[in-house]
Amino acid sequence: MACLIVIAPIYFLVLGSFKTVEEFFAAPFGLPEHFGLDNYRRAWTEASISTTIKNSAIVTFCAVLISTAVSCLASYSIARLPLRGSLFWRLLFVGGLIVPVQLIMVAIFIIMRWIGLLGTLGSLILVYSTFGIPLGVLVLVGFFQALPKELTEAAKLDGATDFQTFMRIVLPLSLAPILTVVILNGVWMWNDFFIPLVLSTRPNVETLPLGILNFFGVYSTEWGLIFASVVLSALPVVALYLLMTRRFIAGMTAGSVKG
Amino acid sequence: MTAIRPRPQLWFLLPAAALYGAFFILPTLASYWLALFDWSGLGPIGDFIGLDNFKRVFEDAEFRSAALHNVWIFLALAVMTNTVSLFLAILLDRKSWLRGPYRAIIFLPYILSPVVTGFIFEILLSPNIGVVNPGLEAVGLGSLTHEWLADPSTALWAIVIALAWQWNALATVIFMAGLQNVPPEMKEAAVTDGATTWRVFRHVTMPYLAPAFTVVNVLLAIFAFRAFDLVYVIGGAIGAPNGATLVMGTVIYGNAFGKGSYVDTTRMSYAMAQGIVLFLFLGIVAAILLVYLARRERRVY
Repeated sequence: MACLIVIAPIYFLVLGSFKTVEEFFAAPFGLPEHFGLDNYRRAWTEASISTTIKNSAIVTFCAVLISTAVSCLASYSIARLPLRGSLFWRLLFVGGLIVPVQLIMVAIFIIMRWIGLLGTLGSLILVYSTFGIPLGVLVLVGFFQALPKELTEAAKLDGATDFQTFMRIVLPLSLAPILTVVILNGVWMWNDFFIPLVLSTRPNVETLPLGILNFFGVYSTEWGLIFASVVLSALPVVALYLLMTRRFIAGMTAGSVKG
Repeated sequence: MTAIRPRPQLWFLLPAAALYGAFFILPTLASYWLALFDWSGLGPIGDFIGLDNFKRVFEDAEFRSAALHNVWIFLALAVMTNTVSLFLAILLDRKSWLRGPYRAIIFLPYILSPVVTGFIFEILLSPNIGVVNPGLEAVGLGSLTHEWLADPSTALWAIVIALAWQWNALATVIFMAGLQNVPPEMKEAAVTDGATTWRVFRHVTMPYLAPAFTVVNVLLAIFAFRAFDLVYVIGGAIGAPNGATLVMGTVIYGNAFGKGSYVDTTRMSYAMAQGIVLFLFLGIVAAILLVYLARRERRVY
């Protein structure tokens, strides 16, 4: 029953993406006459999904990469290296989780305008990379602290530098928590639309959610077309989710329980 | 090996610290500073007016009504979470081969973007092509059909339902994780001693669930008071219809960047003051909840 409530809206969405405008009015519950990909083809070009999906992919990929990399390094320093004030750094980074984005984005808009990055994909990548750090540090510091000390000390005795120890010994053991961070931040960055709403001041740097919303305003009666673009936007994340349901649920609950 | 670097711990920290300083600490501090000025966000920074912006926030009828909407959203979702989501989690806790697939389906809404969710509900409730009105007619409740999103008295509740659809996913899964912590021996022992199902639930399961309650309700406070994306998709920065769906997040956005009308003025400094008020508000609510629930946790354990 509950599953029905979850599935029904999604079912209507997918069904609707194949319908023509007349079919919507004629039979709200009915099946479309044939399952053609017309709506999808038009969405790809007319709703500029081809551009926005590329922007979303670039931004999410770069930001996940940068933010995971810098979080790993910083977390390792906080957890395992002789860093002075490590508790201060940890709290400083993790504290970012409770600041409302609505507050900080106004100032970021002003800063981006000031340094001339407003309306570029670079500004989105920088902001997402930064906003991914609190969660990365939260998950990774806890994990690194739990690693046995003998591992890194043995490598040090063999003459490895801290960076070599980190790259060759610690990273290969940390794939699971890193994947958690990648999933949590990746899904959020792909789905988020507040940050591009503020920073993507030019149409050619719009990301998927923003592009759809704007398209929605312009073509508000081309329902099938809108349905198709909404389905397309959700498809990559849903596909990944179905492939790795267990990892997703474990990662997302772990992240939120700690957050 | 290239150059020998002194103090590797600082080199490790540097990239994150630089990004975080430039795009997190700096803008946060700048907001606190700029909130003290009278500035639209364009042109030179205006006059220093001290705490006047904050005074105005508390007298602002629009902001107050938006804050009240946030409170309603929080309360409605809290009731649903602690009954429906909990019940669902208990149902799904039973061992069955369907458990995995059910859990996957229940969690699905949480990974959809708020834009997708907002859009789905806007469509379902639409008077033109929605399925809710035809559905009511089909079961003989034609008199209940309604322009759900155009009527100020129902629009907020439509948003609550959309938010609930998404929120229930995370709440149920967290409760399910909590139920895993109940040792089966304890339940069996209670049953052997002749306890009824309700008593087992009340005196064995509930105490073990206390930490899950804390997590779910604190996260819910954050979810409800920071709500923006889904609300903006359905109601926009003006809170259509007629401000009925404004929440604090959308009011702040409207003041900072305009509401999309032709005679738009922006009031960025004022928006920052509102953002700070929201931050404090959220901090207070979360702190109260944490203290209350943590005490409760200690009591029931």
